Amino acid sequence: MTSFDIVVIGAGIIGSSVAYHLSKAGYSVALVEKGDIAHGTSSRCDAVALICDKKPGIDTEMGFKSIQLYKELAKEFSFDFEFSSRGSLYVCETEQELEIAGDYVAQQRADGYDMKMVDNKELLEIEPYLAKDLRGGIWTEVDSTMNPYLVCFAFIEEAKKYGLKLFTNHEVREITQSPDGRVESVITDRTTIHTNRIVNCAGVWAAKIGQMVGIDIPIRPRKGMVLISEKTKPIVNQKVHEFGYMLSKFEDITYKRAVSKLVEDNNIAFTIEPTEADNFLLGGHRAFKGYDISSENDVMRGIAERAIRFLPILKDINCIRAYAGIRPWVADHLPIVSEVEEVPGFFIASGHEGDGISMAPITGRMVTQLITGQETDFNIDRLNFSRYKLLEKV
Amino acid sequence: MSDEKTIICRCEEVSLKTINDTVYQYSCSSREVKLRTRAGMGYCGGRTCRHVIDTIVADLNQKVITDDIQLSYRPPVRPITFGALGGVYHENESC
Repeated sequence: MTSFDIVVIGAGIIGSSVAYHLSKAGYSVALVEKGDIAHGTSSRCDAVALICDKKPGIDTEMGFKSIQLYKELAKEFSFDFEFSSRGSLYVCETEQELEIAGDYVAQQRADGYDMKMVDNKELLEIEPYLAKDLRGGIWTEVDSTMNPYLVCFAFIEEAKKYGLKLFTNHEVREITQSPDGRVESVITDRTTIHTNRIVNCAGVWAAKIGQMVGIDIPIRPRKGMVLISEKTKPIVNQKVHEFGYMLSKFEDITYKRAVSKLVEDNNIAFTIEPTEADNFLLGGHRAFKGYDISSENDVMRGIAERAIRFLPILKDINCIRAYAGIRPWVADHLPIVSEVEEVPGFFIASGHEGDGISMAPITGRMVTQLITGQETDFNIDRLNFSRYKLLEKV
Repeated sequence: MSDEKTIICRCEEVSLKTINDTVYQYSCSSREVKLRTRAGMGYCGGRTCRHVIDTIVADLNQKVITDDIQLSYRPPVRPITFGALGGVYHENESC
């Protein structure tokens, strides 16, 4: 009989980190995945760990702690995941954006985070190829980049040293429960694994796993496209994005940019990041299109149009490839990291939207703290699954 | 000719030996071989080597070689400048 202390469902970045942290803590862990490692969102994304795109408060606290953890892991792991703390830059097009950015930075600095406003001149000193008319921006030195799927491979290789067993190409079909509701086993298309603890790290597919134990997890797929440049000289040295990105991510900020209909209609905001391979990844885009990850011509055109506005040098650089992925979106933009009260032994670690890579280490750590009964690094009441039940009552 | 000198992916200069070693070590799919070695991720987007990688991996994993392509096709069909894509240059366009 196959039996494990804990079954982790989903070998994307969150499941990989959770499996690593639990294995290291001494549990016997099975990591079950319907495809290969990093088969879904974690290989169709960009890969930064930022604090500058987080809201002040717990969002930023988790992001910051995660970056510190990545720094330690990068030293500790024998598997290189191309981690580097390059910093990041937000750029503002208008005085109004600069003003909103200034308020945001003041708030983050008051909380002790090292973010700095830079003017037009400093901006061009940091990134000389940027358009000359930009007003200024935010520079965050601590922000970091890495390779998204290599991080997954790294977590799993390290976890194997502690005995992790990988079940790739196993699709979860059913979860059985004892009469008192506690989870009993995970049935895949190929085997049955007995366990009394399950961690649902299925990301955009988390709701499907939730249905198997009769709960409704309100995660929706939110699509995003990325364009890849040819290998070229360092046109930017770090992640650069327009401040409008912040405005497209959080729907509650009302601010309208002066952009073309194509850019507006497709919710496109400029981002670019360097990779170790000297290709650059360009985005970004957010749309609700179900599970569709086909490339859209309009979105590709819009991303290119917006990118040239901020980095005119791109005009003569080739785009070699495009891809799309889907982010696990939740309405309040905070991940669900929680045990589910009505299903003893069933935990959820999903719903990180575009912050999965960023928040993977802290999520793995907190899930382990929840399961071992230790106090979590932060008060994570706001990440509890029960927050959605409270909403229903309201 | 040794496996080390046989280049499968010319854009990223990935040798047959690297691909063989990766499949032996991780017993993985061609998609995972691509992610681990960068074979097929270069300038041509796998147009040249995609089929070869699929065949090598299927062969090593002793799977029946089918018509299914494991490594995905993605746009653009060939490299295009961001200028042309973003509408700054209207190459070969009637509008």
